[in-house]
Parts: sequence; structure tokens; C-alpha cells
Amino acid sequence: MAKKPVKKEKPKEKGKASGGGRIALMFGLICLIPFSIPTLLLMFAGLLPTLVAALTDRSNSRFAWICVGGMNFAGLAPALLKLWFFHHEVTYAIYQITDFRTLLLAYAAAAVGWMLYFGAPPVVVTIMLATTKRRAMALEAQMKKLEEEWGAEVARRPAANAGADDGDL
Amino acid sequence: MPNDKERGTGVVVTLRDRYLVFPSSPVPELATPSAQAFIAEDRRGRDKSLFALMVKPGYPPRIPLLKLLKGVDNPGLMTLIEWGVVDWPPANRKVMLMIYVRPGARLWDDSGSKVKRLDENDVINKIIIPVAAALKTLKSQGVTHRAIRPTNMFWAGTEEDRVILGDAAAAPPAFEQPASIEPVESALALPAGRGDGSHANDIYSFGASLAMILQGRDATQGQPEEQVIRHKMVMGSYSALAAQARLPLSLVEILRGMLCDDPNERWDIEAVDLWISGRRLTPLVPRIEKRAIRAFALGGRDYMTARELAIGVQQQWETALPLLVDGKLELWMSRALDNKDKAAAMAAVLAADSSAPDRRMSMDVTLAKVCMMLDPTAPLRYKSLSTMLDGVRWLLPIAMAKPNSGEVRIIAEALMRELPKAWFETRDAYSPDNSVLESGFRTQKNYLDRGSIGNGIERVLYELNDSVPCLSPLVVEDYVVELRDLLPALNAYAKKKGETGGGPAIDRHIAAFIAARASFDVERMINDLATADPAKLVMTTINLLAMIQWRLGQSGLTSLSMWLAHLAKPAITNYHNREKRKALEVELPKAGREGSVVELSRLLDSAEERGADSRGFEEAKVKWSEAFRQVRAIVEGSEEISGVAARTGQQIASLISLTAALITVSFLLVEMIL
Repeated sequence: MAKKPVKKEKPKEKGKASGGGRIALMFGLICLIPFSIPTLLLMFAGLLPTLVAALTDRSNSRFAWICVGGMNFAGLAPALLKLWFFHHEVTYAIYQITDFRTLLLAYAAAAVGWMLYFGAPPVVVTIMLATTKRRAMALEAQMKKLEEEWGAEVARRPAANAGADDGDL
Repeated sequence: MPNDKERGTGVVVTLRDRYLVFPSSPVPELATPSAQAFIAEDRRGRDKSLFALMVKPGYPPRIPLLKLLKGVDNPGLMTLIEWGVVDWPPANRKVMLMIYVRPGARLWDDSGSKVKRLDENDVINKIIIPVAAALKTLKSQGVTHRAIRPTNMFWAGTEEDRVILGDAAAAPPAFEQPASIEPVESALALPAGRGDGSHANDIYSFGASLAMILQGRDATQGQPEEQVIRHKMVMGSYSALAAQARLPLSLVEILRGMLCDDPNERWDIEAVDLWISGRRLTPLVPRIEKRAIRAFALGGRDYMTARELAIGVQQQWETALPLLVDGKLELWMSRALDNKDKAAAMAAVLAADSSAPDRRMSMDVTLAKVCMMLDPTAPLRYKSLSTMLDGVRWLLPIAMAKPNSGEVRIIAEALMRELPKAWFETRDAYSPDNSVLESGFRTQKNYLDRGSIGNGIERVLYELNDSVPCLSPLVVEDYVVELRDLLPALNAYAKKKGETGGGPAIDRHIAAFIAARASFDVERMINDLATADPAKLVMTTINLLAMIQWRLGQSGLTSLSMWLAHLAKPAITNYHNREKRKALEVELPKAGREGSVVELSRLLDSAEERGADSRGFEEAKVKWSEAFRQVRAIVEGSEEISGVAARTGQQIASLISLTAALITVSFLLVEMIL
């Protein structure tokens, strides 16, 4: 029997759309380059940790660059705002870049971002596991009380999984 | 009234708080083979001379006869004053005791030695007239004596003016009768299987006794029983017992009448009465068994009559059948005995045997049927068993007392193979009594077929005979004849053994006894006793005994209740709730101390509490399963929880980071603006 030709879905449909948007965005940004060279210079140098995070994060969630980026941007914000509101010039931007304190603040904030990224999940896991364990203990105590009150014969496990679960509890 | 010397110095047994019996003062001259005699005294009438007969354990007394004859004052009967079960210290158990008015000397010595001869008038006036009066009374009461023999006749007093018949109730009917005194068909049966018989049997025994008394000797003395029976068969009873003697002519007539071998032609008590009043009846001509023109050879012996051949077949049970087949027997019956009808019937029986699947069983049944056809008047014969149909009820308790004899098994086999039915089918004439008996045996077969506790041969034993005491080892020493005596006997047993040493309270004998004697419906509970579940068994035991206690209104059964409370421990496990179990463990001994089996039953088997317990248990099971399911879900989802938690942690970190950025920018903007 001849195989029915299966038309491949076009998974790139959405990607195409987002790709188009991305091109439009890039074009827009490129158009803005002549007017924001100082900003770009400062941001490129100051947000390098964010760029690194975005490039190195291989997780599905890809939260690393957001986490690092947020803190990194917070650290760079004083210099960036000074550039925008007082001297929006390339020389001032270079001055800022070469200022040790500006980059230290931005990079230290990025480091805090990394620390948040790596530190928060274990804390949450610990809290959630502790909660479920307490719930399981309460249920086991209830089961034990029933067995004490009605005898071991009350503990008739569901037939389908009884054998598989024998060692669990 | 006995003097001090006669009373002896030992213990005194009291019957019904009135009659004193002195076990240390036996009276051997009044004893019977199955009962010992002792001096007795009436507290209210010390002038009466009494004696007691104590039935030896193992012999079932004839209780219906005792009930009918108590207080009967008849010139030809020993007067029974009282009877009942009493504690008998010398045997350390209970026994059946009968109080009689003490007679004079025994008419005929047990040794069979010659006694003084009585003349014709003395025989008529002192023996025939009073004994005929006794037989008339017995007939009017619907019972037979079955122990009429010279050695069981006594002078009424020292004046020796009349003879009375001795005790007949201490042993099964005709159990102690020698073959010479019994009609041929009864003599062919085992002593315990002769059955109550009919008044014709009593008339015959009286005739045979009279023949011995008139001759002053036993004409058959020294002869083996088999020979006596054969002589009676071949020559007729009169010829065998009295033909050699010179007897007064007037007495020959009554002897011939009473010793007639055909029970239908034998004189009855009315004929004897007529003879006493002077009417002379036509003398009976003895009917001799038809002899064959040539003998039938079986096992090296020649048989000339069908009845003798029937005896021979039973004597050679294991080897007889091959010698009867191949048409030899039919040929002999049709040619040598000229009985073609019976020959044809015999051929049909023997032909059925060869086609039967179970050869051994079929052979036994065939032989039994052959015996029945050869001698229809004879008892039921099967292997070593030979019993009248109404004798099975007496034979069984005697066989039960000999557990290793194998007789019980043979009786059970005979009943299960429906030999009584075959026996009834070979009767020449229809009798309504036979129909009743046949229906009874069908019922007994059903009990044997079931075989479980409360049925089987034990049930047959108690169903057939109301006189048999319960033979359970637990109560056998308490002589339990009626259901109302059972619980006190069990109570006594429990007292003796202690509450923990008794074992099960109901065994096969007790279950069968209850089933047979209870006047209320216990069949469902009896069937429940067959359960393999120990808790259910104990519960059924308690419920059954509680029902008896409640129905009979008995109280004060403390030892029994304590015993049952101890046995009830497995029944407590019928409740699931542990608190209830603990409460029962406290309450049961309390109820036990109150002596109420009914209370024990109520505590353990309350329908309301059982229902609540079951419902609670079902709910608990559902709750447990639900909790188990949740715990399992938690355990199985722990890895998934780790993944979710890590992702959540990253989300939270991102949120914090963005928030920090927003706050910083906002703060800087505000600072710049201001």
C-alpha cells in the first residue's frame, strides 16, 4: 500500500514571524546607531556579563541572562543615566568605560545576579521538599493510627500497585 | 426393711431424695448379666422390701419400657418403683438405677440345674395365669418384655404362690436370651440386634420357658446355639424343645400353640386366655420347612433347606458368591425345591451383580439379597452382621461400646447400601409398620451420606434410640440421656478440667446428640460446626449452647461459661476494632463468672455491634487506601518536585533581579529629577 504522503508541518511559521520581527528590530537598532553610539559603547562594555550569560546558558528555561542581566543593568544604571541626562558623548562614554568604579559596580551587580541564579533554586527545592515530607508524615501517621485501631488487615493496598509499592513505605 | 448388717458400712446412694441404695451390699441372687443388684430402702416406707438394679455402663436401658412400667402393679410383673440416673461413687460416675419391690427366690437357677418340678395345676395357677396377666398388660401398653426366660422368673414372695417376670429394661430387648428361648428368626440375629419384636416373641419365649419348667430341665442344654436353631428349623420348635418329654396332655396344647414357628399362626394372649378359661382350641400341626430333593453343596457342607443354606451363605461370606453363580442356585431352587418364582427372582439378583462397576461392594450387597430371598423371615444379614431391622437401634450402641470391633463400620455400610430397603422389598406381605421403618432408614442414610460433625453414624445412633446416653468422652460419665442434662454435664466436665484444659466443647457425639434430641431447630448451627474457621467454630459452639440454655432456662453454669469464655478468644478476632476486642477481653470473663452462656453469646454475636464494626472497618479501609495513595503520589513525585522547584527558583531569582533593576533605575531617576 502506498504511503500517504505526509505533509511536514512548517514549524518555522512562528520562527519566521519572530525572525521577521527580529530583523525589523535589528534594522531599527542599526538605524539608531548613529544617534546612540555613546550608549552602545557603554552598554556593550558594561553589560558584557549579561552577554556572556545569554551565550553560555544552555538550560530550557534560559533564565540566566534575565537574572544576570537585571542585576547587571541595575549596576550599570547610574553611569548610563549620567550619560543620557548629562553628557551624551562618545568621549564621556569612553571616560565612563575607563572608570574602574563604573565597571566594578556593573560587574559586581552581575555577580550578584549569578549568585541569585544559582542560589535560589536549591532554597526553593528545600522548602518544597520539606513541605511535601511533612504532608507524607501526616498521612503515614493517619495510616498507622488506622492500623492500630482496626488492625493490619485494614492496610489493603490498591491491587494494581500493591506489589510494586511494597518496598516504598 | 434391711437391717444394719444388710445395709453395709459404705456410701449410700440416694435416688430422688427418697430411695436409699447401699452399694456395699450387693444381692447377687437378683443380679442379671447386665445389671448388678443392691439392697435398697424407701425413706417413707421402711416396711417395703426393695432392691436396686444398677445397669452396667455400656448397656443402654430400655427407657420407654421404664416409663410405662413405673408403678404398674401386676400379678405377673416385678413392680418397678422408681428409676433414674444417680451418682455411683464406687464407679466414680453416674449410672442408671432401677428400684424394684424385692421378689422371692429365682425360679430357675442360673446354672441351669434342675429345679423342683411343679404339677400341672401349680404350673397353670402359679405360672401361666400370672404371666398371662403380665403379657396382657404389656400388650395393652404397646410394649414387649423380651426377657421372658426361666432364669428371669421369680416367686412373688416366700409363699411361692405365683411367679413374676423379672426386669426387662436393663439391657436391649432379648439381649440376654439364649437361642433356645427365642423364635428362630430372632435367635438368628446377634443378641443386641434382636429388636423389640412383637408380642408373638414374648408368647414364644413364655412357651419355651414353660417347656423347660415342665420338664425341669433345659432340653437343649449343652448343644451349641447353631445346632439348637437348626433343630428348630428342621423339626419345629415344639419338637426341638419338648417332644422328648412326657407332658400333661392339657399342657401340650398350649405349648404347641405358643411354640408355633409361624408368628401369624402362633397363639396370641387372647388364645392363652381362652385356654385358661377352659376353651380347648384346635391343636396346631407344626409346619416343617420344605426340604429339597437333593442337597446344595456349599463349602463342603450339604444344605437341604433354603433357610439352612442362608445360614451357610453368611458363614462363608467371603467365598460363597462364586459358588452360587452360574445358575447353580436358581437350578437348585427351581428343581430341588420346586420354587420357580423365587428361582427367577434369584437369577435377576445374581445377574445384576455381574454388571455392577464396584465388584466388591456389589458382591456383598448381592449376598445380602440372596440371604434375604433364601430366608425372608430371617434378620438382615450382611458380612458378620445379623440383625432384625428394629434391632439396629439397640445393636449400634452396643457396637459403639466396642470401638475396635469393626461392627459399627459394617452397620454403617449396610445402611448406606440401602439393605433395609432391599429387606423390605423381599417381604411377602405389606405392613404399614414396615413403611414407617423404611422411611426412617432413608433418613438415617442421609445422615450417613453427609458425614460431617452432627451427622454420620453418631447422628444415626441418637436418632434411632432415645435411650442411648451421650457417648462423648466429655460427658459419658454423667449419663446424659436427655438434652437438659447436657449443659450441667459439660459444666461438671469444665469444673474438673479447669477453664483452660477442656479443648473443644462440642465433639461429634455431642453435636449429633443435640441434633437428635433438640425439639427446636438447630440444623443450621449444626451444619455451621463443620467450618474450618476456628473463630466461626467457637462462635457457633457458644451460640448453640446458649440456645439450649435459653430454651431450657438453665442457670449457674459458671465453669462451662468460664471455659467457653476462654475458648472464645478466637471469636473475639471476629471484631476488627481493637478497642472493642480489648473491651471484650475484659467483659467475657465477667460474663463467664455469671454462668451465662447466653450473655457470652450476646457479647460476642450482637448483630448491631457487628454491623457497626463492619461499617467502621470498611470506612477505615477506604481512608487507609486514600492515605496510601497520597503518600505514594508524594514519594513518586519527589523528583518531579525537585525539577519544578529548580525552575521556580530560577523564576524567583529572575524576578528579584528585574525588580532590583527597576528599583535602582527608579531610585536614580527620582534622585536626578529632584
